[in-house]
Amino acid sequence: MGGAGAKHHPAPPHNTNQGMDPEMTGQTTGKAIEFDRASVRFGQFQAVQPTDLRIEPGEFFSILGPSGCGKTTLLRLLSGFLDPTEGDVRIGGASMVGIDPSVRPTALIFQNLALFPLMPIWENVAFGLEMRGWSRAKRRDRAYELLAMVALSDHAEKLPAQLSGGQKQRVAIARALAVEPSVLLLDEPLSALDLKLRQHMRAELKQIQARTGITFVYITHDQGEALTMSDRVAVMNRGRIMQIGSPDEIYDRPDNAFVATFVGETNALDGKVASCADGMALVETPLGGFRAANPKGLRAGTEAILFLRPEKLRLLAAGETEDNQIAARVVRRDMEGAWSTLVVETGGRELKLHLPHDGRETLASGEVALGFKAAEAVILPKGEMSDD
Amino acid sequence: MTRLFRAFGTPLSALILLFSGIWIFGLIAAPQLIMIEQSLWRMERPTGAAEISVQIDGLYNQLDVLALDRATVEAETDAAKRAADLAAIDAKEAGLKVDIAALEETESTPVKVYTLANFGQMGTAHLAIFAKTIAASLAVSAIALVVCYPIAYAVAKLETPRTASVIMLGLVIPYAINELLRIFAWQMILNQNGPVNLLLGLFGFDPVPFLESGTGVFVAMVYAYILFMVFPLYNVLETLDSNQVEAARDLGASTWNIHRRVVIPHARPGIAVGCIMTFMLSAGSYAVPYIMTRGTASPWFTQLIYNRFFEATNWNVGAAYALSLLVVCTLFIFGMMRILKVNLKDIAK
Ligand SMILES: Nc1ncnc2c1ncn2[C@@H]1O[C@H](COP(=O)(O)OP(=O)(O)O)[C@@H](O)[C@H]1O
Ligand SMILES: [Mg+2]
Repeated sequence: MGGAGAKHHPAPPHNTNQGMDPEMTGQTTGKAIEFDRASVRFGQFQAVQPTDLRIEPGEFFSILGPSGCGKTTLLRLLSGFLDPTEGDVRIGGASMVGIDPSVRPTALIFQNLALFPLMPIWENVAFGLEMRGWSRAKRRDRAYELLAMVALSDHAEKLPAQLSGGQKQRVAIARALAVEPSVLLLDEPLSALDLKLRQHMRAELKQIQARTGITFVYITHDQGEALTMSDRVAVMNRGRIMQIGSPDEIYDRPDNAFVATFVGETNALDGKVASCADGMALVETPLGGFRAANPKGLRAGTEAILFLRPEKLRLLAAGETEDNQIAARVVRRDMEGAWSTLVVETGGRELKLHLPHDGRETLASGEVALGFKAAEAVILPKGEMSDD
Repeated sequence: MTRLFRAFGTPLSALILLFSGIWIFGLIAAPQLIMIEQSLWRMERPTGAAEISVQIDGLYNQLDVLALDRATVEAETDAAKRAADLAAIDAKEAGLKVDIAALEETESTPVKVYTLANFGQMGTAHLAIFAKTIAASLAVSAIALVVCYPIAYAVAKLETPRTASVIMLGLVIPYAINELLRIFAWQMILNQNGPVNLLLGLFGFDPVPFLESGTGVFVAMVYAYILFMVFPLYNVLETLDSNQVEAARDLGASTWNIHRRVVIPHARPGIAVGCIMTFMLSAGSYAVPYIMTRGTASPWFTQLIYNRFFEATNWNVGAAYALSLLVVCTLFIFGMMRILKVNLKDIAK
């Protein structure tokens, strides 16, 4: 049933063709993607639960989830290497079931890139055009154009093994773009790169997407990638989409315990709803009673978990009060660069809070008073949590 | 070399060098050198044999003269003189006989002469058989390649590793049976009144002379050496990243183009090794053509070599024939490597 988050969010306004590079002329623009109760079963194993999902034309859509949750399987439904066991998959309104990958309007960028090691770079890029019967001269010209776009003109005659990781990455992108797909499918394409390069490539991918107007379906287990690049993100677990929403929605208004714990850091406290009114609730936890947002309208008496982001938990100055207050003892401080993580202990539990790197964080020691606003914590029904 | 000594120390390195030396000499150099040497000489009548023969004739004439003398002497009445003359004649005769024996010995003892003539012994008939053997071996390699490529690809890329290992094991098991037995089995299968012809008969066909036409040799050879094609192909195809195949397909390649542009280029070293092995085994096969044709089809070149050695007992010509085959096989190896653009390093992998 597509999980709790399978409801359709309106697509963000997205002006596809703005600022299109003159070199990219002839590009088709993105097409919409629809999953209609599509599911995948391998023998007894349900890899993808029946899923409803609509991705808008020209959208940068990410699928985020832990390893093994079925992301690649979902992507293979789009690329055509797999047909749904049940349900339908449509691209641009046309059902794709039984349509061979070679004729789908999609292009796939593989996790390991899968460049052809025995062909020079330009032939790699021109491969799709070669298969479409372009003459050697024509496809060579086009390959060089595309390589110029990704700043690799000087490397056109080299073999893939002679290129660095980032360069190979760009070859893979050029190769996929050469066939002018309506939908570009990316399966953790940056996971092999080091951090700096990864951040650089994020920006580059985002730019290409905006320029071409192609629908991007981007798979990753790295939440940083999903949150920074995407128009919308689907969080997936055990073959089920747990929530779909903009990066802000996913981070600020998690729909369930899994999303709350998988995306970003959080403090989780088990408890029981004592009372509720106007979307707020009072929860009894081992650390005492706290007031928090109650988006799911949990009734009094139900078991619940309270989630509180570390940056929402504050140190209180002497005499300052807050909606919720906790007395705790500082255990240690981990320097993270722009902020510090303060680990405190109270009632036999550890809580984390993030403090900005402004010089004052070093003063926190010994017994401290902590507080957080009721609206900045959330209670959700008990459910599976991510363990990372 | 210094790396070796640094890595293993002097005594161990010396031992390693010794063993590699023995290996290189015993397995590679010695047999070839023996064959080359053998092929380069032959025994000939000594030079000047004609003069010796004239000399011998002259000596025999002298013997005849002595026989006449002896008759004259025996008519002599003086006993003492007769005895002395006879003794003189006896001595002369004995001397002549020794000379004759020595000359005859020289005349009939051939001398070892180094020559390239052994290689020139191949008449057109033998050359034709040589050419036929090479062509047939090429055909066997080609057939084996065509048969094995899809099998190896299917097993390596389409099956799970478990199923793949079971299938490969299944392919190996028949090879536990002695080669001769397997060939005899095929001989019986393809016989004039064997099961295949029996089956064809049920459909109203006349018996096909598989063995007599030489078809049987092909069938049995492809069967006998197929393993040497399947394994190199399987090994190299197993290392092909399946994503490459999917990437090609995703970019619009037909099955044919996927193989032409991605799979076959990757498989080149395996194809080279497989073709080289099947070619050499086929060209050098003795038992298969011998058993399958029972002498009813024109012989395989190896049979000629065998005949030179053991029937014509002309080991020198036999060695020359064997060497010719070796040269062609070596040329084939380098030819394959050239065509498939693989070097020794790829093949060694
Ligand atoms: N062809 C297949 N046969 C059986 N199980 C599969 C197959 N492909 C994937 N799976 C299983 O489906 C689950 C999801 O796999 P996948 O989609 O690759 O995960 P992800 O990409 O999110 O890491 C995994 O448990 C995997 O073992
Ligand atoms: Mg995956």
